[in-house]
Amino acid sequence: MSIKVDDKIGTVRRAIPVRDARALFLRFMPGIVLVVLVLAVALANPLFLRPNSLLTAADSAAPLLVLAAGAMLVILCGSIDLSVAALASMCSVFVALWVPALGGWAVLAAVLVGATAGLIQGAVHVVAQIPSFIVTLGGLAVWSGIGLVASSAATVGVEGDSLEWAFTRIGDARIPSAALIAAGVAVLIAAVFWFTPVRRWFEAVGSAEPAAVLAGVPAAQIKLAAFTVSGACAGLAGGLLVARTYSGAPGLADSLLLPVVAAIVVGGTAITGGYGGIGRTVIGVLIITVLRVGLSVAGVDPSIEQIIYGVLVIGAVSLTIDRSKFQVMK
Amino acid sequence: MSVPVLNVVDLKKRYAETTALGGVTFEVRPHEVVGLIGENGAGKSTLLKSLVGLVQPDSGRIELRGNAVKLRSVAHAGSAGIGMVFQEQSLIPNVTVAENILLGAEGGAVRGGIYRWRELARRAQVQLDKIGCLVDPMAITDTLSFAQRQLVEIAKVLAIEERTHAEPVVLLDEPTSVLDSDEIEILFAQIERLRTHASVVFVSHRLDEVMKVADRVYVLRNGQTVGEFVPGQTDEAELQRMMIGRDAQGSHYHEDAQVDVSAKPVRLRVSGVSLKGVCDAVSFDVRRGEVVGLAGVQGSGREELSRALFGAETLSSGHISIEGEVKRFRSPRAAIAAGFGFVPAERRREGMVATMTIAENVTLPHITTVCNGPFLDRPRERRIVNDWVQKLRVKAPSIAASIATLSGGNQQKAVLARWMVSGDLRVLILDHPTRGLDVGAKSEVYKLIRTLSATDVAIVLLADSLEETIAMSHRVIVMKDGKVSAEIPAPVSSKPSPLEILERMI
Repeated sequence: MSIKVDDKIGTVRRAIPVRDARALFLRFMPGIVLVVLVLAVALANPLFLRPNSLLTAADSAAPLLVLAAGAMLVILCGSIDLSVAALASMCSVFVALWVPALGGWAVLAAVLVGATAGLIQGAVHVVAQIPSFIVTLGGLAVWSGIGLVASSAATVGVEGDSLEWAFTRIGDARIPSAALIAAGVAVLIAAVFWFTPVRRWFEAVGSAEPAAVLAGVPAAQIKLAAFTVSGACAGLAGGLLVARTYSGAPGLADSLLLPVVAAIVVGGTAITGGYGGIGRTVIGVLIITVLRVGLSVAGVDPSIEQIIYGVLVIGAVSLTIDRSKFQVMK
Repeated sequence: MSVPVLNVVDLKKRYAETTALGGVTFEVRPHEVVGLIGENGAGKSTLLKSLVGLVQPDSGRIELRGNAVKLRSVAHAGSAGIGMVFQEQSLIPNVTVAENILLGAEGGAVRGGIYRWRELARRAQVQLDKIGCLVDPMAITDTLSFAQRQLVEIAKVLAIEERTHAEPVVLLDEPTSVLDSDEIEILFAQIERLRTHASVVFVSHRLDEVMKVADRVYVLRNGQTVGEFVPGQTDEAELQRMMIGRDAQGSHYHEDAQVDVSAKPVRLRVSGVSLKGVCDAVSFDVRRGEVVGLAGVQGSGREELSRALFGAETLSSGHISIEGEVKRFRSPRAAIAAGFGFVPAERRREGMVATMTIAENVTLPHITTVCNGPFLDRPRERRIVNDWVQKLRVKAPSIAASIATLSGGNQQKAVLARWMVSGDLRVLILDHPTRGLDVGAKSEVYKLIRTLSATDVAIVLLADSLEETIAMSHRVIVMKDGKVSAEIPAPVSSKPSPLEILERMI
C-alpha cells in the first residue's frame, strides 16, 4: 500500500540525545576495538608487540588499505564499488605481462587502466542512472573475465627486480616500502579532505544528493571522481600484489573484497553514505589486519576467517546505517 | 440527541518544537456529514492520522459510540469502525478491484489459501452496490480513472461495516484535490448516498466545497478547533477570519515594510518559458526588490516553473534574462554562479544536508567565498558564518553544531543565510519558505523577505496560502494549467481579495 507516513516533522527533540550518544559511540568505538584487539593478541603472544612483527603486519595490510581507501570514497558519496578486488586482480595480470616491456612503469600503466575502468563504471552509473551496486557487480565479472582472457587463465610469472621497490624494507628501521606507499595514498586523501572543500561535497552528495545538487554541488563529477580514484587504487593494489608474489594472476586479489568492505564499515563509515573518512578507514584496515594475525596466533582455521568477516560486515553496518534513508528496507 | 458515533476530546500532539495538535474537540453524529476545514498546517492531516492509528496522540480521548479507544494501526482503526479514504490512494494497482476491496478481510472468499473468485466478486459487489458504483469488481485496478479508484476506496472502507456490525465512520481526506468539476459533483452525490450507510468526515481547505456538502463544519487553526458552524448561517468573511486567525493582519506580514518598486528597473525577465507537459509560454518580469507571488493549484505548473528558473529542470523553449542578459542554466550550479538562490519546499530533504554542521550548510553553495584558491580558509568561514548567524538571529549553540539540532525556523534561517554570504544575491526563488514553521518563525521569515526586497533582490514567492501570497507580494501571477491566467497588482494600499485570485486559479 502506498500510505506515506509523513516523516518531515520527526521527533527531533527526543532524538538528539540518542543521536549524540550514538555518534559518540560510533566515533570512538573503532579505536577502542583496535586497542582491545591489539592487547588481546599481545596477551596471547607477547612477541606480536615486537617491532618486527608489527612491521610485518603493516606490510601485509598495505594492499588492503590501498583498496579500502579508494572504495571508501565511493561509499562516502552514497554509491558502492564491489569491483575493486576483481579490478586489482585484472591489473595484476597486466602488470605481470607488461613488466618485461615497461619495467617498474608497468604499475603506473596499471593505475591508469584501473582509473579508466573506474571512470567507465562511474559514467555508466551516473549517466545511465543504473544503481552502482549493479554496475560494479557486473564490472566485477567483466574485469575478472578480462583478467582470465589476458592471462589465458594462468599465473603470469615476473622475472627480474624491476618491482623490488614495491616490496622491500627501507633503512635501518626496515620499514616496508608497501606500507609507506599505502600510507602515502591515505595521507594524500586526508590532505585533500582537510585542506579543500572536497570532503564536504562528498558528504553532501552521499548524505542528501537532492539538497547537494540544489546547493550547486557538482554531484555527477564528484561521483565520477570517486569511481576513478577507486579504480586507480585498485590498479596500484594490483601492482603491490605482483611485487610480493612475483606473479600476476586472475583471482589474485579476489578474496580481498569482503575484507575491504569489512574494513570500511568496521572503521565507522556509513554504508548509506555521507558519513565517514580516511582516518576511520585506516583504523578499520588495522582492525581487520590485527584480527587476521590474532586468529592465526590463536590457531583458528583460516577457513573460518570468511565467516568472521561476513558477520563483522553485517554487525558493523547494523550500527552505522542511517535507517531514516529508507522507507522500505530491500 | 443520539450518542455521537465519534467523539474527539481535547486531542493533543507535539513534534519536538512544533505543536501539531493543540487541543482538538469535535463530534460526529450518526448519518451526519461533518466538515473539517483549515489552512495548510492547521493540523488536519495529523488529526486524521491519529483517527486511523498512524499517529499516537500525546493526550486527549477518542471515543467510538461512547467507548474510549486507543488506535494502534489502520487495521485496528478499521476493526473499531473508522476507515479513511487516503488523499494519495492506497489501492494496489496491479490486482483486481475485488481483491483491493476485500484485502485482509477475505473471509469465506478464500478457502485453503486459494481465492474463490466468484465469492470474492460477489462480496465486493455488495460493497460497490452500497454507493451504486458501476465498476466491474474483476477489473484490474490501474485500468480505472482516478475518480473511479476513489469510489473503490470508499467501497473498501464501507466493507468495515460487515466486520464490525455497525455503521462505520468514513474519513475523506481532501477527496476533491485531483478531481475535475464533473467528478466533484459525482463525488458529492456519492457522499449523499454514503450517509445512509455511514457517518462521514469531509476534510478540505476549500470553503465552498465544505459549505455545499457538510451538515456541520468545524474550523481548525494552528492545531485547535476554533469554531463550529452550520453552512448557510454564517457569512463567508467571518469564516475566512476564523480560518486565518486575527493575528494574520498586516503586522504579521510586515506589510508596512513593503517598499515601492514601480520605478525600479526589471531584473528578471521570463520570456515564453515552456516545460514539456507542464507549462506553456510563461512570461513575466520581476523588478529589483519586487516580490512576485506565483499562485496556482497543484498541477498548475508553478512548482516546476520555479525549479526551472533555477536550472533544476530543463526548459523546452523560451529563456530567462537578468538585467537584459540572456541566461541558459544547465544546472543549479550555473544559476548560483549568476546570483540566483533557491529555498526548496522540502527543507529536510532538499534544503539542507542534515548530517553537516550549520557552517558547512551555510557556505556550501558559495564555498569560494571562504576559500583561498582551492584551499578552505576556516577562520574566515567562522567569521562570515558567525556574522550571518547573528544578523539573522539564528538560535544555535554554535555554528559547529549539526543543523539537524535546530528548530525548523532556525534551520530555515540558516538555509536563507547561505544565499546571502556571497553578497551578490540577485534573484531569490522561495518555494513554500514558511512550510511547517510556527507562527513566530513565519513572521521572522516574512521580515527577512522584506529586508531582502529592500536591498533590491528580485524575489519569486510560492507561498503556503493565498493570504500569504497576497500579503507578501507586490504583484501576483496566477497560473492555471501551465499558463499565466492573470496578473494582479497587490500594492499595500489595495491588496486583492483571495476570491479574486481563486477565480483565476480554477
